[in-house]
Amino acid sequence: MPLVISAYDVPEVDVLLVSGGVLTEEDLHNLRRAVRRAEQVVAVGTCAISGGVASLGDRPEIREIFLAEDERLHVPKLLPKCRSIDAVVEVDRYLPGCPPTPELFMAVLRISSDFKPSKTVCQECNRRKVKDMRPTQLLGFQQGEVKPDICLINQGFLCVGTSTRGGCRALCTIPGYPCVGCRGPSDAFIEKGSEAWLETIHRVFANMTDIPFEELDAALRSPQLALFLFQFSDYAGTSRPPRQKEKLL
Amino acid sequence: MTTLIFPLSRIEGHARVVIEVHGGEVISAHLKATEFRGFEHFVKGIPAEQMPIIVPRICSICSTAHHVASIKALEEIYGVSIPPLARQLRELLLLGQIIQNQASSLFIFTMPDRLGVPSILQAAGDDVPKEARAGIGLRALQVRKAGTDLITLAGGQFIHPIKAVVGGVTSGISIEEAEAMHAKLENTLPTACELFDYYWEMSLELRDRIGTWGDDEPAHYLTAIGDHLPNYCGDVIHVMYPDGITRVDFPARRFMDYLDFTETEYSYAGYTSFQGQVIRANSLARINMTSRMGTPCSDEYLDRFDEAFGRPAHGILLFDLCRGIELVYSLERAMDILTESLDHEDTHVPYKPRDGEGFGLVEAPRGPLIHRYLIKNGLVAEAKFIIPTTHNLLAIERALRVAAERYISADQVNMELERAVGRVVRAFDPCIACATH
Repeated sequence: MPLVISAYDVPEVDVLLVSGGVLTEEDLHNLRRAVRRAEQVVAVGTCAISGGVASLGDRPEIREIFLAEDERLHVPKLLPKCRSIDAVVEVDRYLPGCPPTPELFMAVLRISSDFKPSKTVCQECNRRKVKDMRPTQLLGFQQGEVKPDICLINQGFLCVGTSTRGGCRALCTIPGYPCVGCRGPSDAFIEKGSEAWLETIHRVFANMTDIPFEELDAALRSPQLALFLFQFSDYAGTSRPPRQKEKLL
Repeated sequence: MTTLIFPLSRIEGHARVVIEVHGGEVISAHLKATEFRGFEHFVKGIPAEQMPIIVPRICSICSTAHHVASIKALEEIYGVSIPPLARQLRELLLLGQIIQNQASSLFIFTMPDRLGVPSILQAAGDDVPKEARAGIGLRALQVRKAGTDLITLAGGQFIHPIKAVVGGVTSGISIEEAEAMHAKLENTLPTACELFDYYWEMSLELRDRIGTWGDDEPAHYLTAIGDHLPNYCGDVIHVMYPDGITRVDFPARRFMDYLDFTETEYSYAGYTSFQGQVIRANSLARINMTSRMGTPCSDEYLDRFDEAFGRPAHGILLFDLCRGIELVYSLERAMDILTESLDHEDTHVPYKPRDGEGFGLVEAPRGPLIHRYLIKNGLVAEAKFIIPTTHNLLAIERALRVAAERYISADQVNMELERAVGRVVRAFDPCIACATH
């Protein structure tokens, strides 16, 4: 229901920004009704694009437990699987990010037109890559001292900014927090499957570090990275076509 | 039997009120949360270090509180004691959270109820008061933005901050940045006070029109802040009994000895009670249990409140006025902290991850928030989120019943009930996304 007005329905609008995945019968109903009254539909954030955190619950053993949660009276039933909004309705634009920054919102609404994102987060980050620092062990997201100005991968952190879509101004990596890939893959990878991105990240780490393949691979496939980084990869191995990169900001 | 259903707008998340009536008698009044994602289930098996990244996604509005609570839970397990700079920055984060939240609740969600307009952003036209046309919407957004800017400065970004980490923070705040933010808050304070004065006045008019401050029966009050200079990053939970005198204090790890959590069959949110009895958290609980705020303007408002209502106060529409006092306090308190030294290099301490059980407590805008984690082999074995909104659910339903009984009689339903239901729920400012998580 609307947040800033008293209304029990979505009125006719120029642009409908949809956040959140489609989880319940009621979400499905509300979404279908709302898009009919909108000129343009924008999927905002990871959850609307791929189901986001709620789709972590799609692991079969977890799904079973929590589908039992809706054995309640007169609450909207949970759908068998959390869905992206473009599985249900036509989407005109995608605004990935968890969350997208205010600047990105302004750009997607075309309030400011001079927005020029870089291709990757890495290009927006001011940290230096160095040749003489080759870590042998993965430090994960936040275990250990962060040295200023030096690339986080050189320091052994699990940073995926090298293939993550730019536009956020590297707001995590500059203060020293590894990129978790919340903007999803850059244009170069958007129409390729998740295995192609995984390979690329492996290649970057192999070039810059001596961290064992298995250690890195397990970390990259962890739920949290998989959630963000592979948000556009749900077509891999299915019949759904990749999203067109022209529709993405 | 007749069932009345009231969809709710101008609240965080999705819920509706359902009231059952038979022959003019109110049978039940429930707040139904209609969304659910299952965080407690799906975080099982996740590496512990990922929790401070995953769990803020419970709610974008409350992400700061979840972020800090999550880090505190892990720090308790790892036995970490953070440096002073980290304390200062975490307090700033939570003050920013209070500023943005109370500004939203007061001026965006509940102001329309005072002015009789559908939205503060649409408050235009001849049929609304003159003041409503004079840019309340824009000024409300300016005050709110002071809070989000403060979180951005201390946390890296407003939604899902990243600068607080296990062991401390990633960086401090430079003198230039602190001065610029101080100037911004200094500019915001008079605007916030003007809007709050107007809000107070409109609340008195509302009280005169409807003849009540809503459910005013005493209840247990619950908060995690201390008695003076409220610190929203506290370590102890306090309960005040309905007599307004008796108090108990306990640490987060003992919450189950005092609070009962019950699932419901009619909503995706459960509720907490104090040994089966109604408790209230959020702004009124904090103001009832704070002797002095400790900053000049907020203490003036507190005096005004004392004079008008006395303490402990119980009318539910007073929750809204208490939010205004906290908004003013948080602006002033944040300015004080920004004049302290925040750019030293002692940002965090080293730590070694280990298994165990930890409890992370913060006072979120809606009351005490507890994250409880059990970590085995470095992975999350169990996670429990005790959400502030659930402390208030029994109190909301009691207040809904009071309103329903006021406006429903054997032969008719007074349509003021629809507005009353909105006012009751918004007075508690529930966050349904968090409550169901």
